[in-house]
Amino acid sequence: MAAIALRRGLGRSALALVIGLYTIYTAAPFLWLATMSVRTTNEISLDHYAWPHPFHWEQFRIAWVDSDFATYFWNSTIVVVGAVAIVTLVGSAAAHALARYRFPGNRLIYGILFSSIIFPPQITLISLYQILVDYDLYNSLFGLMLVYISLQLPLTIYLLESFFARIPQDLFDAAKMDGYGDLEIFIRIVLPLGMPAIATTLILNFIQLWNEFLFAVVLITDPEKRTLPIGIRAFMGDHFQDIGMIATGVMISVVPVILVYVFFSEKLIRGMTAGAIK
Amino acid sequence: MAVVRLDQLCKRYGALTVVDQVDLTVADGEFMVLLGPSGCGKSTTLRMIAGLETISSGQLSIDGTLVNNVPAKDRDIAMVFQSYALYPHMSVAENLAFGLRRRKIDRAEIDRRVGEAARILGLEALLERKPAALSGGQRQRVALGRAMVREPMVFLFDEPLSNLDASLRVNTRNELIKQHRRLGSTMIYVTHDQVEAMTMGTRICVMNNGRVAQIGAPLEVYWQPADTFVARFLSHRQPDHPDAAQPLGPGSPGTPGWPAGHPGRAGRRSASGPGPVRRYRTGPSAGPGVRGRAAGRRDPAGDRDRGGHRLYGPPAARHPRDAG
Repeated sequence: MAAIALRRGLGRSALALVIGLYTIYTAAPFLWLATMSVRTTNEISLDHYAWPHPFHWEQFRIAWVDSDFATYFWNSTIVVVGAVAIVTLVGSAAAHALARYRFPGNRLIYGILFSSIIFPPQITLISLYQILVDYDLYNSLFGLMLVYISLQLPLTIYLLESFFARIPQDLFDAAKMDGYGDLEIFIRIVLPLGMPAIATTLILNFIQLWNEFLFAVVLITDPEKRTLPIGIRAFMGDHFQDIGMIATGVMISVVPVILVYVFFSEKLIRGMTAGAIK
Repeated sequence: MAVVRLDQLCKRYGALTVVDQVDLTVADGEFMVLLGPSGCGKSTTLRMIAGLETISSGQLSIDGTLVNNVPAKDRDIAMVFQSYALYPHMSVAENLAFGLRRRKIDRAEIDRRVGEAARILGLEALLERKPAALSGGQRQRVALGRAMVREPMVFLFDEPLSNLDASLRVNTRNELIKQHRRLGSTMIYVTHDQVEAMTMGTRICVMNNGRVAQIGAPLEVYWQPADTFVARFLSHRQPDHPDAAQPLGPGSPGTPGWPAGHPGRAGRRSASGPGPVRRYRTGPSAGPGVRGRAAGRRDPAGDRDRGGHRLYGPPAARHPRDAG
């Protein structure tokens, strides 16, 4: 008995050690960034790893007000929230159609969508630039939002289609017998049942787009239309990098990502999987 | 309540005809069983009545109204599925009320109907549970309740008992018969189980290869089969069926009331002695060169001497669940 208890205790300790080490591995860079965000660049240059003393909370005020981070933050929010909302809505509707309805060209459309996932999105950059210029959408938040939607839509449809296809056909038939039309079935059956998958794509899309840099830097030129990643880059000069301010800006941009992740991964998925498909 | 009339109903997928010129009239308040082996087109026929499959040709009318092009949601038909098809994200009460809410029925009336169905089916303590937290039998009762609260013109059942265990299947069968007597509604019930068909149906419609092989009262179909297929299919005892060890007959729960002196009684009595011997002509479906005698002791519930089966090949191949 004692041997079993000892072995179990050792097992638990080993597990705790691994989890502890992994936590340090992932949390340490974040903590380091957090400490740097309340230190000035001079202090950081003197000692990279020192504990903040004193805490320069005014860095956040300077970033938010003086360095226009408020503008960048709202630009990012408008573009990303808009794009994610449209991608989620259109993506789930398209995935439902592809998963449930048999129509000519169904698999062809699916194949085209899938093939667009395979290629790196960078290869579309120049053509997208030209298209946006042609349609007067270059250097506009709306244009950037459209690009973000087109970037994320194929993967979203691909992920949701495979999940929706597993919802039993009988549920759709039962809802039809209960008097519901196609659109109502989508809203009342598909969306609630697909919520775990929808929440996953929502988190992925939000994080991906919130941190997106390449398309934003190419397609936006006006300083007042910058998104957060471009705003942070403004602190990087050729000869001088304002590390303290960069850290503060990154902290500001990280907060929404954490909030979205915590909300959708915990509450939503747990709530929705309570009565999941058996 | 309604009369369901199928007139030359056909379902084709390209060149393949799965339902071929089915003529069937289900009378008001009748419990019609569509019986046949897997792949005979009985479920497709049921789904056409439900509106879940389009009709390739022929006419379908309910209560005298042609409904060929009426969508499922507007047909006022309720259906119980083999998989129960309960909405997993809704509680039992929400599952029951889902169809009523769509029809803009008064809130108090919805509560009354849900409460009544829950009381009749013994679901009162389960109303707040999700389907995942229910047993198979409880889910089946919720599925039945969901159809009942609608108070539809026609009830359809697509093999609703096949996912239940042996004892539960017998209980639920009796429950269904009881509900049919109570509601007096038109019900169409699809099964491949001869015992279910014999014990539940007011009439049986035996199907084979998409066609109607015979329509009639259970004993009529049993004693006067139209061809060798019907004879073979109905007389086959299912060794794995829960009722195999205890043959059903007069007085058994849920059997139609066979009159005293009816051949059904005689057949049952003969189980301990030499059974009646009947000779069947081979029908068109029996294939070329198949002739012979089907002899053996028999019972309407399928209790029959195995010796009589030799004519039709090894038992495993003939089991309706094994058929294509």
